[in-house]
Amino acid sequence: MRVETLLGGLILSTLGLCGQTFEQKGFVEAEMFGFPQTAPNDSGHFVGDLLVRWQASYQPVSWFTLSGGLEEQTDTHGDTEKSFRFDLLDRGLLRPAFALRSLKVTLHRGHFTADIGKQFIQWGKADIINPTNRFGPHDYLNVLDSEVLGVYAARVNAEYHGTSVDLVWTPIFTPSRMPLINQRWALLPPDLPPTVENAGTVFPGGGQYGARVNHIGKGYEVSASIFEGYNNFPLLIPIVNPASQTLYVQRFYPKIRTYGTDAAIPIRWVTLKTEAAFIDSRETSVNAPRSDSYVLWVAQLERQVREWVIAAGYAGQTVFDYRYPIYFDLDRGLTKTFLAKAVYNLDAPTSFSFETATRQNGGGTWITAEYSRQLATHWRLIGGVTVIAGNANDFLGQYHRNSFVVVRIRYSF
Amino acid sequence: MNKSWVLLFAAVALWGEDAREIAQKAQDRTRSQSERYTGTLDVFNGNRKISEKRWTFDRTGSHGDSKAILRFTAPPEIKGVALLIINHPDRASDQWMWTPALERDRRIALQDRSARFFGTDFSFEDLEERDVDQFDYKLLGEETFEDAACWKLESRPKQKKASQYTSSELWIRKDNYVILRIDHSKKEKLIRRLDYSDIEKIQNIWTPKTIEVSDIPRKSRTVMKVEDLKYNMPLQDSEFTIEALRHAR
Repeated sequence: MRVETLLGGLILSTLGLCGQTFEQKGFVEAEMFGFPQTAPNDSGHFVGDLLVRWQASYQPVSWFTLSGGLEEQTDTHGDTEKSFRFDLLDRGLLRPAFALRSLKVTLHRGHFTADIGKQFIQWGKADIINPTNRFGPHDYLNVLDSEVLGVYAARVNAEYHGTSVDLVWTPIFTPSRMPLINQRWALLPPDLPPTVENAGTVFPGGGQYGARVNHIGKGYEVSASIFEGYNNFPLLIPIVNPASQTLYVQRFYPKIRTYGTDAAIPIRWVTLKTEAAFIDSRETSVNAPRSDSYVLWVAQLERQVREWVIAAGYAGQTVFDYRYPIYFDLDRGLTKTFLAKAVYNLDAPTSFSFETATRQNGGGTWITAEYSRQLATHWRLIGGVTVIAGNANDFLGQYHRNSFVVVRIRYSF
Repeated sequence: MNKSWVLLFAAVALWGEDAREIAQKAQDRTRSQSERYTGTLDVFNGNRKISEKRWTFDRTGSHGDSKAILRFTAPPEIKGVALLIINHPDRASDQWMWTPALERDRRIALQDRSARFFGTDFSFEDLEERDVDQFDYKLLGEETFEDAACWKLESRPKQKKASQYTSSELWIRKDNYVILRIDHSKKEKLIRRLDYSDIEKIQNIWTPKTIEVSDIPRKSRTVMKVEDLKYNMPLQDSEFTIEALRHAR
């Protein structure tokens, strides 16, 4: 027997004897997107992705847990870095090939919990958009298929008799990953110079802070939050070089303050979930672009009817002060929109889901349907169709050439 | 009013009181401050096994006023999915679900508690604890069930208790007050059956170690085997919060 096997067995048996727990899980997923139409800046019809994700947690004593996750990915379309660099910060334009997804220490004692390290922090109760979710940047390379990114943070939570207080500090800023300029999910106006390139990013240097109080009452749940930091969606600064006929686009993450509230109220027939945030600039530098001053809000009704889960709602936006017109912000893009979602679980291993979003002015519509089936204990096959229609000058409608079919196969372990 | 009517009313009153008393005793004999077990669930469609699931279940408090956390440990694709259930004596429970793939918790809209729980034949309501005060009882008679002498009771939810079932029939053993079967009906039509078997005395509480739930209209059933069950563990209230839901035990 090899020494490693012996040592491994010894360690595992020691863990078991001491009542310590080690848990791990992960999956390997291959997916293929097929786009019937080309886009002005993207002639590809197929995109293939491969993702391996593994996560583990170790709890030597009841009050201490060390947990983390790693991921490896590659693709056929230049979405992922083609280097063996191990990424810790998730700040690149491309997805890293090898990355630390999370790594945190959790200390839990009585009513107090502290999480320190790279982690996921998601505020808000709505499912359509989350205006109060300021510590949850996402990967939006494929705008309609996003994934949350981890942030380096210290988070302390105290919970007592249904009221909890969440205090968060992040020393390092993590941006949302926006669509790539040379690919179909970044649609550029037609009158631009012939060459458009990235001009880099101005990353903010300071920390971010936030506090949230959540209260579960008799027949309602409500929270209020405040955030001071940087918008993880960028303002885009155009820099034209007439000599080379090139437009350079620089990403700038404006300093903002957010006041937010969200609530969930179960009533006789439906559960009302609502969320709103007032976002304003806190930029002090005279030369830096400033964020608009605006309110994002969402109201949704949700009901579970036998095997159906149905949610429908409206996302709105009121702008008080327009300050900077060029930005990428999916939350703002999806406002003035009616959204609906229905999931039907056919039987234990099979489900069917349907999602749609329609702009109130009719400028854009997006419909997606997905069928998912467990093939064996570890395997799942998912097939989906997404249809996007609308006008080129609408946030959703601009993607009208990006309708696609997708097939995913996943092995979970 | 003549004497026979008075006697009849008295008999009916006693009959009704007995039924509630039996249900109360059945509940009292399962009362514990807390509970922890591992459940293995096999879901069958007809005779074909279509899935196997495994969860751990922790509860603190007891009937009608309890909190529970349920965590899936298998199959791998739902490992880590967890559910926090806060039961209230006077209204439907509050429930939140933690989905590790999304890294977020979400409140479940539970107006329709007849929805199946994660592809099993348990409905969300079946996972809530029945409290005798939420039902009216009637003794239907006495029957031998699984070679045991049983009382057969009918329960109907009181007005304010929102239940998918309009009535239920319960078979309760006379010797130890263990419930052996519950037939749940909707508008007098049987829709779900729960059978309790492999009854063992654990920490002085008679406990069924196998629960089979059958969804009669769908012709499907789920068999749950209970393992490593312990009562009256020192579980803290702070282990049953949304924050605790986010962290794997």
